[in-house]
Amino acid sequence: MKKINLQKVIIFIFLIMVTSVFLFPLLITFFASFKSNMEILTRGAQVIPERFNYENYIKAWNIANFRRYTLNSLYVTALTIAGILVVSTMSGYAFARGKFLGKKIIFSLFIATMFLSWGPIMIYPQIQVARFLSINNSLSGYVILRVFTVNMTMIFLAKSYIDSIPKSIDEAAFMDGCSFFRIYWNIILPLVKPILATICLLTFGETWNDYLLPLVFTMSKPELKTLTVAVVGLKTSGQVASSWNLMLSGSMMSIVPMVILYFSMSKYFISGLTKGAIKE
Amino acid sequence: MSAIQQYKKHNRQAFLMVLPSFAGLLIFSFYTIGYVIVLSFTKKIGGETVFVGIENYIRLFSRDPNYWTAVVNTFIISAKLLVELPVALILAVLLNSKMKSANVFRVVIFMPYILSPVIIALIFSFLFASYEGIVNNILMMLNISESQINWFGTRWHSLSVIMIASVWQCVGINMVFFLTALQSIPNELYESAAIDGANSQQQFFRITLPILKTMTRVITLLAIIGTLKSADLALVLTNGAPGGKSENMMTFVFKYFFSQGARIPQMGYAATAGSVSALIIGVITVVYLVTTKEGNEL
Repeated sequence: MKKINLQKVIIFIFLIMVTSVFLFPLLITFFASFKSNMEILTRGAQVIPERFNYENYIKAWNIANFRRYTLNSLYVTALTIAGILVVSTMSGYAFARGKFLGKKIIFSLFIATMFLSWGPIMIYPQIQVARFLSINNSLSGYVILRVFTVNMTMIFLAKSYIDSIPKSIDEAAFMDGCSFFRIYWNIILPLVKPILATICLLTFGETWNDYLLPLVFTMSKPELKTLTVAVVGLKTSGQVASSWNLMLSGSMMSIVPMVILYFSMSKYFISGLTKGAIKE
Repeated sequence: MSAIQQYKKHNRQAFLMVLPSFAGLLIFSFYTIGYVIVLSFTKKIGGETVFVGIENYIRLFSRDPNYWTAVVNTFIISAKLLVELPVALILAVLLNSKMKSANVFRVVIFMPYILSPVIIALIFSFLFASYEGIVNNILMMLNISESQINWFGTRWHSLSVIMIASVWQCVGINMVFFLTALQSIPNELYESAAIDGANSQQQFFRITLPILKTMTRVITLLAIIGTLKSADLALVLTNGAPGGKSENMMTFVFKYFFSQGARIPQMGYAATAGSVSALIIGVITVVYLVTTKEGNEL
């Protein structure tokens, strides 16, 4: 009996150590974000700042214009979430319940996107399409691109959740003369709220954290930068040494909302990401 | 309205509801892939895009060692999976319990995955700063290193920082994948094995591992593809430092498309490098799937 306990203690200590490795970089950054630039550059070994000064945050917010960038981020995130919720649940529902010519083929084309791993290579042609539609210089253009670029994770999540709802419910509505769309709008949507929450959170993370696409969309219009693009921009603009304090406080501004959201809803995040990725 | 008419109307509406994403699929996925492939056979001469056949491909294959360095770097970076996946599996096995503390560990270890890779890149470039960086300071305090190491000064240093940052971010998601796999194993299997007198080690090697094999295949594939096509972390963390030596396939392509700074954009050539990179990833995926097929274990 004692032997098992000892084993458990060792495992526990090991896990504590591993977990601190995962927390360490964030804690260091958190504390450093309250240091003056001078202190960051000369006293790196001291983790806790001499005194907590909030000036970095005030400076970043006002002078470096992070207020504007935060608002931009919130704007694109909200619109993208709304768009993806509608588009992904509509396709998920139609794939789960609809019967139309070529459904199987169309669905396999959707799945094919998961294996066409072109990643960042697609950004340039996507921008060209946006330019053709004259939406390449606005944040709404970015939103349109994000909403209509197929995101199989979200469609899978919606489809498999709708698959689990008994068909008798919409058959009854069908008998009463409800149209296909009305069944979706009035019956299915209210039933799938949990998956709406998951899609909402995952999309929040993807959009809030997104970098390459918003970077390219705002290259010629710096005032449209999102928070992530702006924070990273401090590093790529070559003034690294002089702006560590802004970079770190900016990073915290980007991280903290994400972390709070994550800790309060970690279950949705984790299950959403696993279910969406490993599927059939 | 007869039932048949209503039924037909249903089908029409079903199609209309897929239409938005279907249009997006055609325009933003398939059209853009075709666009890149066509573009890869062209070159901009005097402001006009001219069809030049396989000239870009010849240049890529015969005269551009930088691209092939980037390809090799991509594979070197992928070697981080040799650490990442076993660590993730070990953590998953240790945390496969209903204890409350296990849940806390899981949530914390998963956390880096929900952060932006580029913000993580910023944080790690701060931690690994060559002058007064915390990592250097710790190494010197422990007498592992005698002087401040310039972490972005050589190719290998840069690549190892990328690998460390990437492992730190991605262990969590793989751990959760393995946990899902572990939890899908029915308890009765262990119970009947215990009745037959199998100890916990035997149970692990005879039941857990064989069942995990199929899931491991999927998890590894996802991890490989994810690593091969990631650009943003490396782009911000090292930006190719020193002098382009730590570039990978995707950052190479991205920089040719969107050159910030002195280099003149070369869309055609970028598209060529992009197509070849996509082909490399495709080939690796297929080779992996074929060699790991059931009954063909290596």
